[in-house]
Amino acid sequence: MADVTHASNAPPAHLAAGTPPILELVNIAKYFPGVIANENVSLNVFPGEIHALLGENGAGKSTLMNVVTGLYQPDAGEIIIDGYGTTFPAPDAAIAAGIGMVHQHFRLVPRFTVAENLHLGWSETPRRLSGKDIEERASALSKKFGLPITPSAVVSSLSAGEQQRVEILRVLSRGARLLILDEPTAVLSPVEVGELFSALRRFRSEGGAVVIISHKLDEIMALADRVSVLRQGRLVGTHQTCDVTPDSLVTEMIGRPVTLATSYPRQSPAPAGGEAEPLSLKQVTVRDAAGVVRLDDVSLALRPGEVLGIAGVTGNGQPELAEVLTGLKAAESGTVYLNGKAANRADPAMFAHAGVGHVPEDRLKRALMPGLSVAENMALREYDRPPIGGRFSFSMAQARKFAQMLADRAGVKLPGTQVQIRGLSGGNQQRLVLEREIRIASHVLVASYPSRGLDIGAISAMRDMLARARDAGVAVVLMSEDLDEIFALSDRIAVLYAGRLMGVMDRADADRESIGALMSGRNLSEAA
Amino acid sequence: MSAVSPRTRLTVVPSHRIAVGRGLSILAALGIVAITLAAMGRSPIELAGLVVRSTVGSRFGIEDLALFMTPLMLTGAAVWVGIRVNLWNIGAEGQLYAGATAATAVGLFTHWPAIVALPAMVVAGALAGAAWIFIPAAARAWLGVSEIVTSLLLNFVASLLVYYLATGPWADRVTGALASTERLHVALPELWGAVHLGFLLALGIVVGLGVGLAKSRFGYETAVCGSNPQAAHYAGIKVAPRILAVLLLSGALAGLAGVFEVAGTVHRLQGGLANNYGYLGIVVALLARGSCFALIPAALLMALILDTGIVLQTTQISSSAVLAITGLLVLAIAAGDEMAAYVRVNRN
Repeated sequence: MADVTHASNAPPAHLAAGTPPILELVNIAKYFPGVIANENVSLNVFPGEIHALLGENGAGKSTLMNVVTGLYQPDAGEIIIDGYGTTFPAPDAAIAAGIGMVHQHFRLVPRFTVAENLHLGWSETPRRLSGKDIEERASALSKKFGLPITPSAVVSSLSAGEQQRVEILRVLSRGARLLILDEPTAVLSPVEVGELFSALRRFRSEGGAVVIISHKLDEIMALADRVSVLRQGRLVGTHQTCDVTPDSLVTEMIGRPVTLATSYPRQSPAPAGGEAEPLSLKQVTVRDAAGVVRLDDVSLALRPGEVLGIAGVTGNGQPELAEVLTGLKAAESGTVYLNGKAANRADPAMFAHAGVGHVPEDRLKRALMPGLSVAENMALREYDRPPIGGRFSFSMAQARKFAQMLADRAGVKLPGTQVQIRGLSGGNQQRLVLEREIRIASHVLVASYPSRGLDIGAISAMRDMLARARDAGVAVVLMSEDLDEIFALSDRIAVLYAGRLMGVMDRADADRESIGALMSGRNLSEAA
Repeated sequence: MSAVSPRTRLTVVPSHRIAVGRGLSILAALGIVAITLAAMGRSPIELAGLVVRSTVGSRFGIEDLALFMTPLMLTGAAVWVGIRVNLWNIGAEGQLYAGATAATAVGLFTHWPAIVALPAMVVAGALAGAAWIFIPAAARAWLGVSEIVTSLLLNFVASLLVYYLATGPWADRVTGALASTERLHVALPELWGAVHLGFLLALGIVVGLGVGLAKSRFGYETAVCGSNPQAAHYAGIKVAPRILAVLLLSGALAGLAGVFEVAGTVHRLQGGLANNYGYLGIVVALLARGSCFALIPAALLMALILDTGIVLQTTQISSSAVLAITGLLVLAIAAGDEMAAYVRVNRN
């Protein structure tokens, strides 16, 4: 055992032996009531290394990083920076020590511009400062770190990838030597992932250290120098990336091997054509608040018992398509037909009652009440009917029973149905939302990026759930950035580019090249 | 490993921990008051004896407590229903005046029998309270205008309006009392000494509100709107009408406090009638935290402090003492609540 430990604590192969680590964790423990979030975690990170942290949902990755960044105090153990034991009473102490974190949920002020956000908490703010000054400084920072941004843009108008660049730039501009990223690629398009990775590699080559939390093993294999795996709050192992394979990592994370199926054959034959379309769009156009066209003349029909995959680079109209399909947003022109009837008002209640379920892209913001209990959150779709409620009544006892039932079916271990849902891990929140929505989705289920933030075991379970819904005759709309996922589950594949529907093709006729061409805005005739 | 045993913060604090924490906080606050009094050359023990005798230790004292509690429970409830869904009605003082004014109008200018006049006063007062918050509520619901500022500013309008009525058109021409109307023709029946039916009604309203919100669809839907309006929209719950409804309910509760004051306790509309009950309602609501039923002990505590202040004043201690004691107590309780959230972790 002794030399195994020694090997895993050695710096990555490309660094000289004996390089001192920038960060060393010794036997860190963090407890929450009834839960061991971390125990006996010992880990070191070297300058010039990209270190990946892997683990299932709720394995304690985020908690560990919150300890390192001073958001939580460890209940036991030591944090050693550059050889000196230290404590971080608050996040600013960690920032001063050169540790910066980019969270999964961005911590930006949406109404401020990029430049203003970059300079929040800037320690050297001069007494007099004009908007132009900070925009110039923001441009300079952007050049220095090689992260392109628009300093005068308002953050709320940016895509997730652009917002993330602002976050990273803000952390780097404070002199971070250790950059921690919590699932940075979950919200990015493939092109943006490439840009992020080259920025991280550049940071590494300049002697920076990176800790990256991710569920995407391919990315880890391509990017990281070393990998540490957490399971149930404990460190299972640290390896040089060249010594491991994705399969061995999965086995270590979950305790057993798991592979994702590449197809989900039907349990019953596909329904014959000609059945009524539960939901269809005719020449629908949608603009956002700024008047920009987000969906452009889209016509689309869902068919019962079929998965329609929506491929497309993030930010090409997917959120608007989901909103129109679920009644959250009215079409500006064109018609939405719900069960054959025109439904042009934004009336999410009517869509829900007609059996349209929706797993939105941002579950915490859209689909959950973070401050309310698990029971109240799970009741959100069925509070108006027995057994939970009626025309006037509401039963908390029944809501709790219902929530426990959903959690059992979703395989989520709850510390109780009365705890706030924000206390659950992102993966568990996602599983509960999916379970809740599948129950009401008797005709249509719109799932936007349902595997975001889920570990491989949970993704496998989620895909089985979608396939079962399809077999039960539900028209499933699956939006995903993962083409493998779209190919594995879809019967038809539609491609969105700049709000336009580039084409809809049967799975059998689709291949990666043609889909990829459509995603980048080329027509098939041009691509051929 | 570390010298200090590890502690962690509970996300949901059990009520027995809060109770113990608050008990200790109140003791600490009283200790500081005692030390201060001793430093002023007063005997804290003697004064404590006097306070106890004149509040809980005598029948008059207990009656006084009940009379103070009646409006405090209702203004506390008014603020509490708002805080529950993230809305801050700072205007309970003004709505109390509005309710009192409407009830006075019925009581002065009709000669109906009590069985008709009293319910009419209750209805008119509740409606007037709701009407007084209608503009802030509608502006908040549909335009997103902060209800904090608008509801607060209307307090001054209401207070001055009452002064105008009580010194002008409705002034008492019989006894010539300053800033006061004549005695109303009807009064709430007295149950026990000066304690009137309003006390029981206020108790019943608080209990009914707690049960009603916990067991109603309205209660659930408003909780969703308060916690995350976007999720409410996603679930098909229309947010704006529910914000309006909650604030109107809040205003009506504060209006009822005004009705019971004029119809049961004071029997006239006077300038300064609200006696800060609207603002103290904020303290009562904060002390009650998430529980509606806790408004009752919170109102009792506040009533005790008000009464203590009056007793201390009779011994030549400044009337500002009551404000200082209130502030100290709220501070101690806030600290106690926070500390009650931390538990030691048992590790094995």
